[in-house]
Amino acid sequence: MTRTRLATIAVTAALLLGAAGCSGDSSPRYDEATAAPTAGQPGAGQSAAPAPTPANCDPRASRRPDGALPAPGQMPAGTLMAEIRKRGRLILGTSQDTLLFSSRNPFTGRIEGFDVDMARLVAQAIFGDPNKLEIKVIAYDQRVNEVLLGKVDLVADTMTATCDRWKDVDFSVIYYEAGQKVLVRKDSTAKSIEDLGKKKICSAAGSTSYDNIGKVKSEPVAVAKPTFGDCLVAFQQNEVDAISTDDTILAGMAAQDPYAMVIGDRFTQEPYGMAINRNHPEFTRFVNAVLVKAAQDGTWTKTYERWLGGTAPKPPVAQYQ
Amino acid sequence: MTTALARRTPSPAAAYTPPPEGLVHRVAGLRRTSPGRLQLILAALLTLGLLTGLIAGLTAHAASSGTAGLGDRAQPLLVKAESVWSALADADTTAAQAFLAGGLEPDTLTQRYDADLAAAGTSLAGAARLVPAGSEAATAIDGLSVGLAKYAALVATARADNRQGLPLGASYLTAASTLNRDTLQPQAQALFRIATDEIDAGYDSAHSSWWLIAMLVLAVALGVALLWAQGYLSRTTHRTFNVPLVAATGLFALLILLTVTVFANQRNHLGEAAREGSEPVATFARLHIAVLTERADEALTLAARGSADREKDFDQTTATIDFGDTRLEPAHEFAVAARQQHDAYLATHDQVRGLSEGGDYDGAVALAVGDQASRQFGELRTTLEGAIDNREAAFTEQIGAAGEWLDLLTLIGPLLALGICALAVFGIRARLEEYR
Repeated sequence: MTRTRLATIAVTAALLLGAAGCSGDSSPRYDEATAAPTAGQPGAGQSAAPAPTPANCDPRASRRPDGALPAPGQMPAGTLMAEIRKRGRLILGTSQDTLLFSSRNPFTGRIEGFDVDMARLVAQAIFGDPNKLEIKVIAYDQRVNEVLLGKVDLVADTMTATCDRWKDVDFSVIYYEAGQKVLVRKDSTAKSIEDLGKKKICSAAGSTSYDNIGKVKSEPVAVAKPTFGDCLVAFQQNEVDAISTDDTILAGMAAQDPYAMVIGDRFTQEPYGMAINRNHPEFTRFVNAVLVKAAQDGTWTKTYERWLGGTAPKPPVAQYQ
Repeated sequence: MTTALARRTPSPAAAYTPPPEGLVHRVAGLRRTSPGRLQLILAALLTLGLLTGLIAGLTAHAASSGTAGLGDRAQPLLVKAESVWSALADADTTAAQAFLAGGLEPDTLTQRYDADLAAAGTSLAGAARLVPAGSEAATAIDGLSVGLAKYAALVATARADNRQGLPLGASYLTAASTLNRDTLQPQAQALFRIATDEIDAGYDSAHSSWWLIAMLVLAVALGVALLWAQGYLSRTTHRTFNVPLVAATGLFALLILLTVTVFANQRNHLGEAAREGSEPVATFARLHIAVLTERADEALTLAARGSADREKDFDQTTATIDFGDTRLEPAHEFAVAARQQHDAYLATHDQVRGLSEGGDYDGAVALAVGDQASRQFGELRTTLEGAIDNREAAFTEQIGAAGEWLDLLTLIGPLLALGICALAVFGIRARLEEYR
């Protein structure tokens, strides 16, 4: 049943928005346990702004920050930031097997990467301490649900801001631009995903990377695994011929397997944003202020170079509704 | 002889009907004369005596081999199946804990994992020798052997990746754990169930109830025939007692006494073997697996960091653990010690859960793989393993006692019956000769 619905969502998104923009990962938005959020539902004394409708949706446009960031000790009362401060830690939902973005360092046992460091900036802004962070590992297909249910404060997990997801959650401003590519064995003669007709290509369940494989004209066979780490295991065990998802995730895999290489150009655009509960627009504004500040003061560039190497491109420009 | 006669009874429809003056006619004719009647009595006594001897021997043999089968095959298979299952469960736990500990695997955990894998392999090889080829158990063992090799390869890759600092090692570990829990452990469980069924079947075959019933029917018939023959001879001759037949009756009584004693002893010890041995062994084995499952659930929940909560499975497993089970009564001290140690471990686990839910992940991991929890859980395991060994020894002792004298009865039963037959011939031929 989920598959059909996922397909419907993906097709709708593709129809409404064309090939560009909104085609990241298609998590199911709610399960039986999650009620659909009603517009205007009060949350922490605030009323939520109405969701942008798909017709006028720009997934990159987020809520404009209001004024300068409050000092770490002075979160306005009644906000989620004040609540988080009272709790003593920021709860981040992410994965532990996306090398470079959020993966478990086998030497220390800690989960680290670009996504985690971006979330640490938020913790730093709230507490003045980037380590007041609790990491909760969540499945790819639960990223929207976890935010909806309020189990995590934010999700930073190579998550594409899409119009479909905007119906359920808020996204921060874009903090990274990715696009889908394909990873094959070094000895493969394929030049792009089109050359992989009838071959088995793996992707994580609940991602539109998976759905996109089904749209390739040469008709490769899409194989779903729970996580991208499982895809790489299947790839090394010769169960699948290739893996296709965002170039960022593929780069992390290629770094772990010298017999793998990433081929072709980006055939989708995947702008990453942090997912935040829509009942707390003040928190989205706060996070946006943090991210914009990081882009301006060079923190973003330093973090990029620390995790992704090379010379950092210019940080994505914040866009507002 | 009677059966031989009956088989040769002519059927009127048969093509080659013997003439009415045949054997049946002649045998029927014997009833009309005194020596004829004596001959018939002798024939009946010999037939019943020989049959009783044969069945006594066969009954004792069936019971003896059934009892030996319990001790040599069914029970060792159960122990091997338990060992495979618990080794798999423990390997899974150990791998998850080594992962949690981070960095290079601690030595103790590596050694335990290696020992688990070796135990699983040895027990599988041992189990393979105990089951017939092509049986359900053999299929399970084949599946486990293949799966175990694959499991070991996945864990080896996870370790190699881990040493190189590749996060991919975690994914290999997940794949290995999934194989272990979803494929291998259910197969080991199936083998355990087959072994339990074989023990039940083994008790049935050791009891040899059908053989004993046949033996009882024949013994009653022989006893009645002996007494009736003596009554007849006493009425029709001048002697009150026919001494050889009296002696035959004495031998008969001895045979009955011996059979009753040997089988009463066997049944008594079989009952003890079940009560003191195989039932507590199977129950402790299930408890052993259950506590290993708890420990694995704890480690896997922490390793998944929220993406797979096995706490529900932990609670369900805890609910199945009952150290007050009456079947554990023969190993009371072990059950009491295990209950205390399990309670102590559960208290530590509650602390782990509390820390984890309170957001102190590092604290929860430190406590879960730390010395206190490891010591508590290690003590519990040692107690349960000791209890299984202890009850296994009790079982072996009782089965040995149950099998005593059965082999002797296999030999003596037929000999006594032959003695009865010889005395019957001796006693009746003397009377027959009076008619010459």
